[in-house]
Amino acid sequence: MMSLGSYLIISLILFVIGLVVMLSRKNIVAILLGIELILNAAALNFVAYSRYVTNNLDGHIFSLFIIVVAAAEAAVGLAIVIRFFQIKETIHIDEATQLRN
Amino acid sequence: MIQQLFGFLSYYIPELICIVLMTTLLVLEALVKEEHGNRGKIIGYALALLSITLIFLFKNLGEAPVYIFHNAITIDPFSTLVKIIMVLGTMGAIFLSYSSKDIYTNLKSEFAIMAVGVLIGGMLLASANNMLTLYLGIETLSILSYVLASFKRDESTSTEAGMKYALYGGLSAGVALYGISHLYGVLGSIQFVDMITKLPGLEGTNLAIVMVSFIFFFVGLGYKISVFPFHMWTPDVYQGSPIPVTAFFAIVPKMAGLAALVRVSFIFFDGGSLLAVSWTGLMLLISAMTMTVGNVTAIGQNSVKRLLAFSSIGHVGLMILGIVTLNKAGVQAILFYGIVYMFMTLIAFYITSHLSDMYGTDSYDVFKGLIYKHPGMALIMAAVLFSLAGMPPFSGFVAKFNIFSVIIEKKLYGIALVAAINSVIALYYYMKLAKTMIFDQADGDVKVTGFTPVNQAVIVALFIPVLFLGIFWEKVMTISGNASLFIK
Repeated sequence: MMSLGSYLIISLILFVIGLVVMLSRKNIVAILLGIELILNAAALNFVAYSRYVTNNLDGHIFSLFIIVVAAAEAAVGLAIVIRFFQIKETIHIDEATQLRN
Repeated sequence: MIQQLFGFLSYYIPELICIVLMTTLLVLEALVKEEHGNRGKIIGYALALLSITLIFLFKNLGEAPVYIFHNAITIDPFSTLVKIIMVLGTMGAIFLSYSSKDIYTNLKSEFAIMAVGVLIGGMLLASANNMLTLYLGIETLSILSYVLASFKRDESTSTEAGMKYALYGGLSAGVALYGISHLYGVLGSIQFVDMITKLPGLEGTNLAIVMVSFIFFFVGLGYKISVFPFHMWTPDVYQGSPIPVTAFFAIVPKMAGLAALVRVSFIFFDGGSLLAVSWTGLMLLISAMTMTVGNVTAIGQNSVKRLLAFSSIGHVGLMILGIVTLNKAGVQAILFYGIVYMFMTLIAFYITSHLSDMYGTDSYDVFKGLIYKHPGMALIMAAVLFSLAGMPPFSGFVAKFNIFSVIIEKKLYGIALVAAINSVIALYYYMKLAKTMIFDQADGDVKVTGFTPVNQAVIVALFIPVLFLGIFWEKVMTISGNASLFIK
């Protein structure tokens, strides 16, 4: 039987993995994947709390909105990455160093 | 039920006009042929509808606060005044985009579409009354901002700016969302009104979770208004984006984020509980750090866009001080500051945009000896710089003075000292630019050309408030005072 605690731990693990991916990977597409992991961790939290604690539908609705927004964000993010690739011919984050002090 | 819904819609007319404007712009953009004259007509149409929005907002300004759409949205004078600032800022940016060479000719009407979209997100954020509308507001604002930042799509700097914005933005929105999810779990609802009822009874683990979650939540808002630990993207994005976009970013998302921060602070942290004390402590710390980092880093810059980015960070740090006191006078000071800041920023960006179009760069060198090339422009720019630094008799002084008087009234002398030192630092780098304009010799004797009478008239019209609000501030003070009354 799954309890609230197990869901929260899984979402925490997802969140931490997402953060680590974002901070350590140099590939921009991988960084976008990290963002998705963080958003999914939050969505999982919402559904778990909704099911076990609050007994209302707020959490379910919220997680649906998260999915929609994540898709929109990924679309825009990937479009910009494609543009970056067409100009620089790489998707390595260390190449994005033109704007600096 | 249906009748009630239509009743709600009557309060929502400004937003509805903006939504209609955005969709019709999309259709017009697809139908109209790509000639410069037609673009002008489209932009004129956008400005006309935004003016109508403004009229409806002014009409709403005097109304009592209402909660509409099942408590999802508050329409009160506070949010309405913030929306007025944002609509004016958007109109300014759209007008600037029409004459600026930084926006490609065939993208001028698309800029209007995106700007209006961001404006809709900002309006949603300013009047959000539950976590879902707040999150949607942040994301509507952010996602379209990423597109705007990478608007000069053939240039690597602009694309890089958009990418950095998207990555930082995605991360901070995700972290904020994770915080919101735990707040929802502990407090049992996403409605602000229901959440606050649970706050006083919290103990032990729950209190710890809520505290950490609020810090996570602050990441999302703090990123939008670019306060200290989350400000790294600001100079890069401001420098890489086209100038009209930068002017837009300096006003609309910042005001919307500040409005949401004010509302959240006032709703959740009213009173002397442990949570409220830690929140105001956090605000004090963040404000001091933001001001110092923004102003100190601004000293060594050589790009005017970067300078204005750091200066905007400093201004936001000062504005946050109005939240610390958690009283009406603080909100009044923030609103007045917001109005003044909007006018000053627009003029500074108009002039920078014109010079950078002429010389192809925005370094300090293009300002050298501006007084000999175009005296009027140089004088107005110098006055705006004085105003940004907070010198009397300009309106920037009154705005700064209000914030100082609010914090000194609360006996927060330490932070007042930090703010005063920061004002001196700010004065130094603004005066450096003013000195370049007035005392340095120009590189050649090329006159500034192509500054059309319409542009001159707009700059003068924007300059009038900067000048007169420094002397006759009472009327606007009363308006912002009334707007701060109804905040819960």
